[in-house]
Amino acid sequence: MPNPPARTPDASPAAVDVRGLVKHYGSVEALRGVDVRVEQGEMFALLGPNGAGKTTLFSILATLRTPTSGSALVLGRDVVAERDAIRREMGIVFQEPAIEQRLSGRDNLFLMGLLYGLTIAGARKRASEVLEQLGISDLADRRAQQLSGGQRRKLELARALVADPRILFLDEATLGLDVDARRTFWGQVRSLADAGRTVFFTTHYMEEADVADRIALIDFGVIVALGTPRELKARLGGGIVSLTTDDNLRARAWLSEHGFEPEPGGQEIMLLHADPAAVLPELLRNLPVRVERAEVHVPSLADVFLKLTGRGLEGGSKP
Amino acid sequence: MIRGIVAVVILDLKRFWVDRVRLVVGLAQPLLYLFVLGAGIGASSRMGGGDYRRFIFPGTMGLSLLFSATFAAITIVFDRQIGFFKAVLVAPIPRPAIALGKIIAGAIQSIVQGMVLLPFAPLAGASLGPLQTVEMIGAMALAALTFSTMGVAIACRFNSTTVFPVASNAVLMPMFFLSGGLYPLKVAPHWMQVAAHFDPVAYAVDLMRGVVLGEFFFPVALSLGALALTMVLLVSASVRVFNRGEDDSSLGASRLGWRR
Repeated sequence: MPNPPARTPDASPAAVDVRGLVKHYGSVEALRGVDVRVEQGEMFALLGPNGAGKTTLFSILATLRTPTSGSALVLGRDVVAERDAIRREMGIVFQEPAIEQRLSGRDNLFLMGLLYGLTIAGARKRASEVLEQLGISDLADRRAQQLSGGQRRKLELARALVADPRILFLDEATLGLDVDARRTFWGQVRSLADAGRTVFFTTHYMEEADVADRIALIDFGVIVALGTPRELKARLGGGIVSLTTDDNLRARAWLSEHGFEPEPGGQEIMLLHADPAAVLPELLRNLPVRVERAEVHVPSLADVFLKLTGRGLEGGSKP
Repeated sequence: MIRGIVAVVILDLKRFWVDRVRLVVGLAQPLLYLFVLGAGIGASSRMGGGDYRRFIFPGTMGLSLLFSATFAAITIVFDRQIGFFKAVLVAPIPRPAIALGKIIAGAIQSIVQGMVLLPFAPLAGASLGPLQTVEMIGAMALAALTFSTMGVAIACRFNSTTVFPVASNAVLMPMFFLSGGLYPLKVAPHWMQVAAHFDPVAYAVDLMRGVVLGEFFFPVALSLGALALTMVLLVSASVRVFNRGEDDSSLGASRLGWRR
């Protein structure tokens, strides 16, 4: 975009609009010039290894830290100058537990409601609604410390939802959960996003980032890549479709005619493509032969990260 | 603002109620001072055992209020460690509301602890009439509020639950010993009398003792003024720490270590 629009608070501003964001801790440069724009209603993932600057960016957006330079707007409001106004619009799930373990889930949500300005009756009602919505009403009257890790994380999510926020921020929200609990958790977050809430989350698990609409890869305090999960994977040069048909010769001829370039030779037809999963249905519909077997190899986000940075995701940013 | 304070107070009182057994355990220390230390020292003092117990009852009440109020403030340090406070910090309530809520909640916990100790007054030979009881509760409330302010002012500067109790004891014990809680200030060495003028605990204990014995060391107006001044100074100091802009997540304790 040659001429970015002027930054005036319009009717539907970007959910997150970060420009030239820099954050230093003493001599440590945690963020070295980050630009990100997240639209309303998007589910957006910030993916990177430990120490890449994810939590710092999250904390600035969550109004818990102030940037060294650059600007960050949430829903069109400045996170420093208009802190109090956007706090009303945000729900936040932290890495570490932020519910009072010795109180019941219901009490925790009730108290959060009070902190967000609801009346006593209003806060009680809202607590029940959220518990109902997340399907944890039956756990609500137990002390939080008696719940499982996954149930507690759901309670954290419920806590973030009490104020009915327009945007949800989650920082490594499933740290320490098993695969099953993680899947359930993200399923629930996904349906919140599908219902129109903006979700911005950080993670270092690539399979988690895959549920997002768009992903920003962050490393050493800068965004190294940004796009939909498909786009990012396509950066590797795409993936491979392999097909077995009842008439490979005829299939190859058709493919060549339609602009595809099948690899020569082999029992199967190998086809390199930027987005193999998207092209497969088209092939299956249009090939004039019967396809007996179809396979797609897609590179993982871990492969993408490795290619872009030369290091794996698990290793951490510190050399 | 008011709603924010109320929310913080309800939050802390709910948590206090979970730990209500503390009220009973918290009785042990003052009763120990009153009936064991009191009996021992009283027997060897010119006042005699009975009179001495009656004399130190306001002092042990002060001790009880002081420690329960400071202990209530420890929740600030504790919350900071487990991240619970972050959720409170990102809520749209003004920072001073958090500080004031904490102070009020601590004072309430402290006064409740004091009310549990109060029925032991007759056993210590300090029977109170109806008017005296009202006066006593008033003095206790003032003391509790002052001590809670002190607790919060100290606690908001720490982010370690192991350092805070040590540090607060290092401040509180001298304040208690200087307060005249266990001996009459008027027979204390001159330097202690001078030092007691700078000790808020001394004023609080003196007010309560005045109610019980009918004689004051400090003029009442001076005591009230000193306690009010202490509160004003410490409340504004706490609010300043809570208000500190940069890196809210650490709530002013950032000098003792930061996290990314």
